[in-house]
Amino acid sequence: MVQHKITIKMGEGAVNSAPQIISSQGIGSCVVVTIYDPRRKMGGMAHIMLPDSNGLNGQHPPYHYADTAIITLLGKLYSRGALLQDIVAKMIGGAQMFICSDDSGPGIGKQNVSSVRRILGRELITLSGEEVGGSYGRNVEFYLDSGKVIVKTAGKKEDVEL
Amino acid sequence: MSQNTQLMSEEQLDFIREMMNIGAGNAVTALQQLLQCPVDLIIPKVHVLPTVKLSSVLDNPASLVACVRMGMVGDIGGAMFFIVPEESRKKLVSIAEEALLGLNKLPWQKSEEVGLSVVVEIGNILSGVYLTAIHDFCGLNIYHTVPVLAIDMIQPLLDEALIKTSIQIQTAVLIENELVIEEHHIRTLLLIVPSAESVKPMIDALGQAKKAYGSA
Repeated sequence: MVQHKITIKMGEGAVNSAPQIISSQGIGSCVVVTIYDPRRKMGGMAHIMLPDSNGLNGQHPPYHYADTAIITLLGKLYSRGALLQDIVAKMIGGAQMFICSDDSGPGIGKQNVSSVRRILGRELITLSGEEVGGSYGRNVEFYLDSGKVIVKTAGKKEDVEL
Repeated sequence: MSQNTQLMSEEQLDFIREMMNIGAGNAVTALQQLLQCPVDLIIPKVHVLPTVKLSSVLDNPASLVACVRMGMVGDIGGAMFFIVPEESRKKLVSIAEEALLGLNKLPWQKSEEVGLSVVVEIGNILSGVYLTAIHDFCGLNIYHTVPVLAIDMIQPLLDEALIKTSIQIQTAVLIENELVIEEHHIRTLLLIVPSAESVKPMIDALGQAKKAYGSA
């Protein structure tokens, strides 16, 4: 099968199988979550914008919020045959791009990171790697043949492999 | 995005564009003083658009830019971003080096730092003139907080502002400025993102101003 690269934008998600690659660009305070089943070589990625869909009634795009994004990805993977005991997750992003002295409280990036951590814990998913925080943007490539995640920045630091 | 067209009439959009054009005229003098050379400002393109459409205006989310962020406080809250694409930034920094280093003779200071401080200063000037234009037309008092500079990919720099406004349909103003300095064309963007609470006071003030000035 030919290797294809699927690119998702902010607030989007995708699920696929080896040998595909899922990528996303320009992650700042957003958090990208990858979920992978190494036995079945399938996985999904969501480019999450906000920590919680709390208080929002009715319809909203599922991949915008950490809680609904993770549940949606898991649902899609389970329906393709993934099993909970095999699944591992990684998270990338949650930066604070502008460092100002007058900022009060944790920024949206930190809130996203802690929300993803909490929801993965609640869903009993192992967090096997993360590249979060800092004050730089990130690009992510998720290889579904190996589960490898490559994090690149705009020359801010070396590429990281998760 | 039908909500957005209801939010602002075509007439009001025209009025905003006119207001911003007048603001741009005031920028030239300040920029010439700063850079010590003739500056031309091509009539800016003003887009008034819902924030959810912004990511499609940014053709490449990973393109490298210098970005100055300023908070807005006063009658309208929110944030402003002055954005200079990488190529324009390099030109601007080299012009600034000539103008400022020649003038002040600061060999100990890294010229790159001087150049970047000029980027911040130009952001300061342009946002200042547009806020003044809004004040003069609409009687709204808006101040900006201390500018903070970051150089990175464009989408990460803006995503926090876009996220905060993604829950509701909301309007942003994007002004494309083109400066001509010594035959160099320098493209810059100024993005104004009012907070959710500020949309109504902004529209009310626009309505009042339009009545006062007639059709712009």
